[in-house]
Amino acid sequence: MDAQADETFRDFVANRSSALLKTAVLLSGGDRHGAEDLLQNALIKVAGRWNRIEEPEAYVRQVLYRQHISRWRLKWPRRELSVATTPEVSTPADAASAAELRLVMRGALARLTARQRTVLVLRYFEDLPEADVARILGCSVGTVRSTTHRSLARLRALAPELAALGPATVEQQPSQHKSPVEVRP
Amino acid sequence: MNVEELISDAFREQAADTMPAPPHFADRVLAVRRRRRTRRLVSVAAATVTAVAVAVAGPRLSTGRDDVRPASELNHNDVIGHPDQSPPRTLIAAGDTVLSAFYVTKAVEQPNGDDVLTRTYGLLDQKTGVYKKTRWAFLDVAPGSRTAAVLEGELPARRIGLLDLITGRVDRWIKTDRGVASVAFSPDGTKLVATTYAKNPDRMFADHKQDIDGKEVPGPVPSRTGFTVVDVDSGKSDWHKAPHPTDETGWFGNARADFAFSHDGTLVYAETPMKPFRDYYSLDGDRADWPADEKGRASAKAGLSPDGKLLAGEFAGYGATIAAAILDPHTHRQITTVPVQQLLAWADNKRLIAWGCDPKKCDGKGEFHNQLLLVTVGTNKVVPLSGFRKASADYPGRWTPIFSKR
Repeated sequence: MDAQADETFRDFVANRSSALLKTAVLLSGGDRHGAEDLLQNALIKVAGRWNRIEEPEAYVRQVLYRQHISRWRLKWPRRELSVATTPEVSTPADAASAAELRLVMRGALARLTARQRTVLVLRYFEDLPEADVARILGCSVGTVRSTTHRSLARLRALAPELAALGPATVEQQPSQHKSPVEVRP
Repeated sequence: MNVEELISDAFREQAADTMPAPPHFADRVLAVRRRRRTRRLVSVAAATVTAVAVAVAGPRLSTGRDDVRPASELNHNDVIGHPDQSPPRTLIAAGDTVLSAFYVTKAVEQPNGDDVLTRTYGLLDQKTGVYKKTRWAFLDVAPGSRTAAVLEGELPARRIGLLDLITGRVDRWIKTDRGVASVAFSPDGTKLVATTYAKNPDRMFADHKQDIDGKEVPGPVPSRTGFTVVDVDSGKSDWHKAPHPTDETGWFGNARADFAFSHDGTLVYAETPMKPFRDYYSLDGDRADWPADEKGRASAKAGLSPDGKLLAGEFAGYGATIAAAILDPHTHRQITTVPVQQLLAWADNKRLIAWGCDPKKCDGKGEFHNQLLLVTVGTNKVVPLSGFRKASADYPGRWTPIFSKR
């Protein structure tokens, strides 16, 4: 990396790392340290080919997603998420407000597998259609669809409160196509 | 609301709750990248050697069961802290630096009335990543944390061992013509400076009493003769005379006054209790000046940052404020401070490992109730790396850390 590349890389990290870290935290199910490690490793990979990348953010995000579901990381024993409280099973009546429901959902999302959570982040945080998710993760549209279906079923099993909600649509097209390079606050 | 909308809301709420990335994240990323690239180059070189060896020895294929990478490399997380451990039990590291060993000193009374201040080392076992009690009387760990130079008791020793931290075996002994009681690696790991003594510098002699608080107790005898620069590969050594400095009142200070290498490895120095506080020598044994950019007081062990742009300074606190100075190495002006007591080692160009006390209990004896912290220059953020040492300067089990490059 020459001096100019070093400078542009540092600028990119300074400007974009907080936004990228948000995505990494979601992928890691709220594990902040795991998220920093994930982002750090993605940025190291990107630094190696910095001069040849045209759209750095899209590239970093792709590395972030693929790295998170790579077999090597899934095999890594330290990826287990430890939380201070045991997950509580509550009845639908307990989950009164939307805020509570979001908290319940957050807890359930943290207990999904890395692959399941990654697909949900791409579908419902990045608002990407199934075809784009498949392209980013390097798998088929069918795999994205079945993983989404299984993830939703698993969320319902983990949080019975969700039964009170309306049914999930089979294929919900995002209202507006958003590229992963879009600048998020 | 359906499940997808709730997932979306939960994600957005969690993203909004996420604190910004740490400051100097790019520095951290580039430092880890540099470290991994260096290791990869070393691994390629090692793999070439191994391949040649296997070709000569015949087809004895590895089953992959014996992973020979050191623990400090297998766990490549940027910061590995154990705030519940004092003394440490499992690997502590930050950035490019690892706590490779620590020691505990104990006065052991001898049959003749002497006392020997004996060190017990906890040394990182690179196979398991835990600190193990060792039998060595003195040691230093080489950059890369794969090898330690070890001395046997009682000091001074007549040979230096090169201990493999993965196998726990001494690979090679280097004989010395004179008795040595300390060893220190050069920054590139190719040389050792061993300090030579006529007597054990840790022995307090009953026939050389000293007065401590009105009580006569065994005292030290100055016996430093000089230093030997050892080439680690060839084992060749070169001795130079360098006794303890004296002034008009005679000798004053510690019997142990060991040599270490300067930041760039071109000079060696020993600390002195009086001005100029450090005596520098060239590797050929000539007296040398204290390098301008390293100049500062000796208690900030961290010295110059790896890129040479910052110099770790002294304690700079006042009143209840705990702070240590960060200096410009050219002007020696204070650039900023960090909220710790003593700067021990640089983790990279912006972060330091330091002793820090509990801010609420730093008064009086509380200053000794301290733990290893990682601090970033330009921020007040500290990350605990170890548990607290007890609030006493001198208790059995009080440990002193030794750091080396990861």
